[in-house]
Amino acid sequence: MKIKEANAGPLTNFEVLDFLRSRGASKDPNKIMTSIAPSESKVFDYLVDSAACNQTKEHINEFLEKCNNYRLAKAEILNIINLRPSTLVEIDPIIEKPDKRFGQDQLEELVNTVVEVLPEPPSQKDAEQGNNADEPKATNKKNMDENAAETQTTDQENMDEDDDELIDEGQIGQDEEIEQMEDQ
Amino acid sequence: MFYLSLIEHTLQLPPYLFNRPLDEAITEQLKSLFLDKVIANLGLCISVYDIRSIKGGFVFPGEGSSTYTVEFRLIMFRPFVGEVIVAKLKECDARGLRLSLGFFEDIYVPEVHLPTKSHFECYPNNRNRGRWIWNFGGAAQSEEPQDEEPQFVIDGSDRIKFRVHSVSYPSIPLEQPEDAKPFAPMLIIGTLDSDGLGPVSWWEEAEMLEEES
Repeated sequence: MKIKEANAGPLTNFEVLDFLRSRGASKDPNKIMTSIAPSESKVFDYLVDSAACNQTKEHINEFLEKCNNYRLAKAEILNIINLRPSTLVEIDPIIEKPDKRFGQDQLEELVNTVVEVLPEPPSQKDAEQGNNADEPKATNKKNMDENAAETQTTDQENMDEDDDELIDEGQIGQDEEIEQMEDQ
Repeated sequence: MFYLSLIEHTLQLPPYLFNRPLDEAITEQLKSLFLDKVIANLGLCISVYDIRSIKGGFVFPGEGSSTYTVEFRLIMFRPFVGEVIVAKLKECDARGLRLSLGFFEDIYVPEVHLPTKSHFECYPNNRNRGRWIWNFGGAAQSEEPQDEEPQFVIDGSDRIKFRVHSVSYPSIPLEQPEDAKPFAPMLIIGTLDSDGLGPVSWWEEAEMLEEES
């Protein structure tokens, strides 16, 4: 193996996601089995949940154009596209020495551009709400299960009682037999 | 986070792939060679991006396979130092956190790189397990009752942002003790000690508090 060019160009998360999609990766579990390797589908799973999931080429080109107004390093732009910071505190760790290089206003402007240009990923809150919506059903199910379990246990208890009676009868029978034996 | 790398490799194409179109067969063979493997200083191979050129096709005497020299590009996972990445918590112990991206799990955040004034809290029944808590502005942790201060707990419930502090490629050990952890060919050391890093919910809460005030 000969490494000809270690860095033949960086890729954004979106480009990798797009590439995997073109190879037939999807959320459908049946498709994944046939078209791409398990390790690739893990990458796909990660990217589908990231900010890259709704991005398109147009979004990214537009954002790159707007970035020319700011003196950002390429790595910083790449990181911003990958993470889509929507607040000041989110963009702060991405940019090196933000206070010295940019004023507060400029940073806010940049955040606004990010929010405007890059599409919003389905937020976790929505997902949580979705989960919450599912929860009552789950609890209902649980209750049902519990009820079912209760009925089962009561049945068992009844059975046990029956058994006891049987045993009692058996014992009585035995006792009678013993008495009879003694009589003889 | 992801890069393309141009690589030239001489590979043998086994006969069972002969019935398929050449580029498809070679992609298949490259995938089995490189996918999910770490190349030192290049990173973890994610996928074969494209094939630039195929040369050769010579069958050496006594062999059933044909040999090609292929130039191709791979998608590599190689985070740069200073990059901010979203991950999930995998494990945590008294030495720090271990984070996971799903496809890559050797990301460590040692104690020194956690937010300043964090402490580890063991679960009462198990000394090795517990959680990390950040005492935000809590210099006098023992003097004041803890209820008054907002407590920031790192737990597995939400995503964690970390900044890449260093990436290393340890060499393969010649001899490994039996109970050692599986060898990790690529190690990422991360840091959470900066504003905006750590569990995503920490900063959402802060943002909401600011808006209210």
